[in-house]
Amino acid sequence: MNKFAAAAIGAVALMVLAAGAIFLFAPTDALQGPVQRIFYLHVSAAIAAYGCFAVVLVGGAIYLRNESISADRFARSGALVGLVFTTVTLVMGMLWAKPIWGTFWTWDARLTSTLVLWIIYAGYLLVRRLAEPGRQAARIAAVVGIFGFIDVPVVHFSVTWWRTVHPGPVIVNDALPPEMLATFLFTMACTLVLAAVMIAIRYRIEVLADGPVTAVAGQASLAATREAEPVR
Amino acid sequence: MTNSIAVALAVARKDLTAEWRTRELVPALAQFVVLALIIANFGFQIDSRNAPSIAPGVLWLAIVFAGLVAFGRAFAAEREQASLEAMLMTPASPTAIFAGKALAATLLLIVCEAVLIPALALFFGTPLSAAVVFAVLLATIGMASLGCLFAAMVARVRARELLLPLLTLPLWIPFIVVGGQAVQVAMGASSGSYDQALALLVDFDILFVVLTSLVARFVLDE
Repeated sequence: MNKFAAAAIGAVALMVLAAGAIFLFAPTDALQGPVQRIFYLHVSAAIAAYGCFAVVLVGGAIYLRNESISADRFARSGALVGLVFTTVTLVMGMLWAKPIWGTFWTWDARLTSTLVLWIIYAGYLLVRRLAEPGRQAARIAAVVGIFGFIDVPVVHFSVTWWRTVHPGPVIVNDALPPEMLATFLFTMACTLVLAAVMIAIRYRIEVLADGPVTAVAGQASLAATREAEPVR
Repeated sequence: MTNSIAVALAVARKDLTAEWRTRELVPALAQFVVLALIIANFGFQIDSRNAPSIAPGVLWLAIVFAGLVAFGRAFAAEREQASLEAMLMTPASPTAIFAGKALAATLLLIVCEAVLIPALALFFGTPLSAAVVFAVLLATIGMASLGCLFAAMVARVRARELLLPLLTLPLWIPFIVVGGQAVQVAMGASSGSYDQALALLVDFDILFVVLTSLVARFVLDE
């Protein structure tokens, strides 16, 4: 068993523990009933997704500065894992919204900005597929990663200013009973570990998928820049 | 600095002259936006009661898709004749060349909006007010900076027709949200604060123009 398998098993075990805390330890919500238990994973997945997209932002910015191939690989891994967690957030949110709001979807600030987030990073992954791999795709993707990360708070703010029905932040408002808060913080920690492990594994897959080809292409582009320099 | 501005203006003038001589893009876009109104009429069954609530949506749909075509075309002609490489080989800064092309594409889109807004007033009976024009112009500035940056980046990608809308449309949403609100208020379809919407549009314009000019330096130097 290599270190990736061990990390994966550890992360899954932590998520099972979190599930135990969510279903056995946390009290049932007085108003919403058992549906409220979606909250723990829903919010944790959203925070993990933001974390992944922060990796995309930083990786993209580093790539634009010094064309580091490993920064680009981290960005690619972060985008894919972040998209998975955004999907989890959206689907769980819709499952919660149906019994509580009476509808799967409404054009609320948080819902709209999360959907836009999903579309931007789905576009990010499509760029990687449609543009020729290498410098061109990495540069376009880096710019998408930077603008995407900035666009989401902007969308969120502009829709909030317009209209919103999503429940406010209960954690900062100190509105959670201690058992619920403990369950939430534990689930969030486990989800963040899971996201980190997924990014690490995905990074390894990107390295293997790039293979010796990118290493050569990277050197070739480096050589090309060196040759081009005196001409300028 | 003054040199960069001179370069940008020269590039913009070159693009506008080329468009003036060929007259390709603006007539096509003008026809497109009028067709969008006809399609909306049959899709929505427009009458005097529902027109004010539908018109803002039709307006923004037409602008968004006309903008995608305009910004895509701005770099398509350069690519077909491989003239962008030649321009980039000159000592002029790539950011100034980009700014010039963006300026020309924006002006062409504004010409197309000058057809769209009166046509909307004519066919949908919406008020032809300065408030509508102002909101559309402010949104156009920010949308153009983003749209031209992505058009420039994807110009040499094989699947550019797919990538440009895919990448640009989601990033334009803030302008549609706020610009949509401003136009709804101006057309009497919604009661909100027009001034606040306009102030937000100015904020977004500043944010995205500054970001675009920061990023353009890294993206357009080859």
